[in-house]
Amino acid sequence: MSIQKQQHIDSKRLLILASMTAAVFVLYSWRFFQMQVLEGYIYQDRAQETAQRSEPVFAQRGQIFDRFYDEPLATNRNSFTITVIPADLPQGRQEEVITAVAELFNRDPAFVLDRYRTTARGRFQPVEIVGNLSLREITALAENIQSFPGVSWYSKPERVYPFGELTANLVGYVGDITTQELQVLFNEGYTATAVIGKIGAEQQYDQVLRGTDGRRFRLFDAQGRRVGDDERIIPPVQGSNLVLTIDRSLQKLAQEALGPRIGSVVVMRPYNGEILAMVTYPRFDPNRFIGPGSSVEVQRLSRDQRSPFLNRPVQSSASPASTFKIVMSTAVLEEKAFPVEEEINCTGQFPYGNRVFNDWLEYGHGPVNLASALAQSCNIYYYTMGTSRLTVDQIIDHSYRLGLGSPTGIDISGESSGLVPSPAWKEQFRNARWVGGDTVNLSIGQGFLQVTPLQMAVMVSTIVNNGITYRPHILRETRDPVTGNVITRTQPEVIRDAELSGGTLRDIRAHMRKVITDGTARVVITTNSVDVAGKTGTGQIGVEEHYHSWFVAYAPHGENVPVEDTIAVVVMVDAVNEWEWWAPKAANIIIHGYFRGLDYEETVIDLRRGPRPLWYM
Amino acid sequence: MRKIQSRSIFEIDLYIVISALVLLVIGILFIFSSGVTATGQIASREYLRQIIWATTGLIIMLSVTFLDYRLFYRLAIIFFVVTTIVLLFTPVLGRSVHGARRWLGIGQLGAQPSEFAKLSLILFLARFYSNRWKDARSLKVFLTALAITAVPILLVLAQPDLGTAMVYFPIFLLIALFGGSRPAHILYVTCFVLALVIFTVLPFWAEHLTQRSLPFALVLTDRSAMNMLITGLVVALVLAALGLFFTRRRLFGWLLYGISIVTAAIPAAHIVRMVLRDYQIMRLVVFLNPYVDPRGAGWNIIQSMTAVGSGGLAGKGFLQGTHSHYQYLPAQSTDFIFSILAEEWGFLGVVLVFILFGIILGRSFYVMILARDRFAGLAVAGVAAMYLFHFVVNVGMTIGMMPITGLPLLLLSFGGSSVWTGLIGLGIVMSVYQHRYQY
Repeated sequence: MSIQKQQHIDSKRLLILASMTAAVFVLYSWRFFQMQVLEGYIYQDRAQETAQRSEPVFAQRGQIFDRFYDEPLATNRNSFTITVIPADLPQGRQEEVITAVAELFNRDPAFVLDRYRTTARGRFQPVEIVGNLSLREITALAENIQSFPGVSWYSKPERVYPFGELTANLVGYVGDITTQELQVLFNEGYTATAVIGKIGAEQQYDQVLRGTDGRRFRLFDAQGRRVGDDERIIPPVQGSNLVLTIDRSLQKLAQEALGPRIGSVVVMRPYNGEILAMVTYPRFDPNRFIGPGSSVEVQRLSRDQRSPFLNRPVQSSASPASTFKIVMSTAVLEEKAFPVEEEINCTGQFPYGNRVFNDWLEYGHGPVNLASALAQSCNIYYYTMGTSRLTVDQIIDHSYRLGLGSPTGIDISGESSGLVPSPAWKEQFRNARWVGGDTVNLSIGQGFLQVTPLQMAVMVSTIVNNGITYRPHILRETRDPVTGNVITRTQPEVIRDAELSGGTLRDIRAHMRKVITDGTARVVITTNSVDVAGKTGTGQIGVEEHYHSWFVAYAPHGENVPVEDTIAVVVMVDAVNEWEWWAPKAANIIIHGYFRGLDYEETVIDLRRGPRPLWYM
Repeated sequence: MRKIQSRSIFEIDLYIVISALVLLVIGILFIFSSGVTATGQIASREYLRQIIWATTGLIIMLSVTFLDYRLFYRLAIIFFVVTTIVLLFTPVLGRSVHGARRWLGIGQLGAQPSEFAKLSLILFLARFYSNRWKDARSLKVFLTALAITAVPILLVLAQPDLGTAMVYFPIFLLIALFGGSRPAHILYVTCFVLALVIFTVLPFWAEHLTQRSLPFALVLTDRSAMNMLITGLVVALVLAALGLFFTRRRLFGWLLYGISIVTAAIPAAHIVRMVLRDYQIMRLVVFLNPYVDPRGAGWNIIQSMTAVGSGGLAGKGFLQGTHSHYQYLPAQSTDFIFSILAEEWGFLGVVLVFILFGIILGRSFYVMILARDRFAGLAVAGVAAMYLFHFVVNVGMTIGMMPITGLPLLLLSFGGSSVWTGLIGLGIVMSVYQHRYQY
């Protein structure tokens, strides 16, 4: 049989089928080429992103020390933070899981949920929901981790302040960054989970303290299980340590000397501007801002009418009252406005215009010269100087020269600049003409004049330091957290020269000494440790039996005492307290304790021992 | 009639044999790879079972090769009846896997009858068309063939297995095309199916993608609106028919053709929506945009595309694919085996597999021409249709160009039934080649 070739398949249709098949192959090949070769990098990134989770490795925040660099005022403790990965939360039950976690740790679920919603950013990025947990607390969660899908935790250092409220106004505290803060600081590397200093050194030197967080990258499979042991770590850079100028034993002494009285204490070194102690009352304990109820605590303190967050020595101002007479005396001396020895008869009354201004001593001090006017704090003498011997501009000028009316430039934020009133100022802000009565009031530090306790300390320092003003500061040096080597040291910075003659300065210091030896402070400054020079001030606020109590001083006094050994002390007790004339009394204790190297109790005992008995305690 | 045996075993189509062998080996390699966890443990012994199936399958393939295909012509009706009966009982007696009863078997041994039903349909349709070649152009033959095809489609849909059910349709189309049916008929049915799919998915698509109700989607769900639409379409249909009757213009013929497809597809789609499960329709929707449901139905597409794309030109290396070993790919030894291959062997591996499938299809087309009789040519066309459709759908879904249907890639994917079906299909092709000179 012959083999006969007969085709049963339509060639045309087969050609169409073969062409279509070839077209599919070409199309698919092109698509694979496009995806794998041309756009492969996109999918490689996506594969990485899907399988790779990263979590922060937190940098240890730098510790904060006082000037002795031995025990930290602020340090870190390891604690745990609960996180959730949004993509791993069961669909539709996110809120349920987060609420369960919140309830497990006694947190307010509404608050935790709110925090989750505001901070969640990526599907695979962990979101912190509950922080500051101990190992024991985290164990409770770990044992039931199956009940909390998508929930995990990592270790996050927690800030603690071993000295609590002692240095709270200086060291400050940290907290979670707020949305507003993030908007401002986003470009400086802050993230939504950042912890940031809120006040004090924590805030001022946040960039130095915070370091740079590292990151740990690990691979996870589709079930969220860790894959492999290899992990890539970008190590964190630890924050630097701060060494403050604060002397914590003096701080403690000053704090106890002030006691539970609303007010301020500033102790500084005139020759370089270092703040040795800065006390405010009322205070807060920054450790209470950690853990459950912290936000409630912050809110409670914020609502407290006594303003515990206010760092009074820097952020509050009041009339300096008679302490301003130092400025007046300086002006009289420097401008040679009135012969130093010439006396004015103080009758207790000063008629001016159609008013009569009184001295605080009803029948007057009798004849007083410049030195005894300051010692006795005679108002009539200074009224006379202010109204007929000095011009308003001269008073203002000397106020400025001694640092009043402008911020001192201390490295604490929110500093008040106080107020030195002038005719132009009154015109502009009070819409009224400067009258003679304003000059009379200004002459004794009343009226519109406002100063901060720190400004007064700077004023005293300038007088002690021969007219040179250094910028007050609380940062002494920054140190490497590992080696302890000094990285930067704050150099004393001259901010002003009062341009006062040596004679003026010598005289005013002698007059300030006379306040202690023969004047208003004679009975309260009982210390025999060193010679003290200063000035009292009693500020009228218009309420009977309530006065601001000021005392500005330096010690030791003496023209041969090296300025390096001298400290300036300012105590201000607010008028809301019972009138106790407490400012000079507190200063007495502080100065005695400091120069004898005693703590508060020892100081009180030592002072009682004499030679002049401590009559008020 | 005289039988002439092939002169030598080397006469068999070595192109197909070698391609099939290489594909099986690659398949086993990547089934092994898919069973390796990220920590390097071998979590699955599927590759061992695949070796057994591949070996036995090859033996069956060679046996089929040397059998005279006319035996299959004779047995075609019995095969079809038997598989139909088996399919009929599968939904009732079958083992339930992932909510569908597709498996029939005893103990560990089991088979998917729907796979073998492809072969019996190929043989039955080939026989049917070869017997009716004289009036193959008639509508009656075409509709009869369509009715035959509808039997396994409906039975498999009942399991429910949408993917496999779809395969019967291109088999029918190609056999009808080469069996001599009119292109107009084939095109009509194809367009009807496409319209059906579109109208089925549209309301879901509108709901999930646009998040608002579109007027044209509302027409498909709201009963009164649908009635109005259909009434309008029927009127248009009658007008077109009248026009055709009186004027005999071809334009009216095409109008009738087009409008009737739409008119039929709309109520049909409504029925399909009631029959199909939501997840099945959702898979069609996410194919349009996987990010509608990235953790649900869209997850598979996204992960597969990520695995494929991250493979690059030369791949991450065998057993080095991160996306597959971290189990981001679902059903990676069956549906998504090609994604692993593309991830680990890259574009070059993809091209290799393309070439191998290209050879199988090319040789099948060649054998169609060589075929000694009509039945032989049509049977080969059916096998080619099966391979082509599995390839297009399975490979297409790994790169998001086809909806996810769960169709395996023949010879590569894990599964005894599909490997055997594939190999028996090739056996038929080679048998036709082998016996091309025998009369």
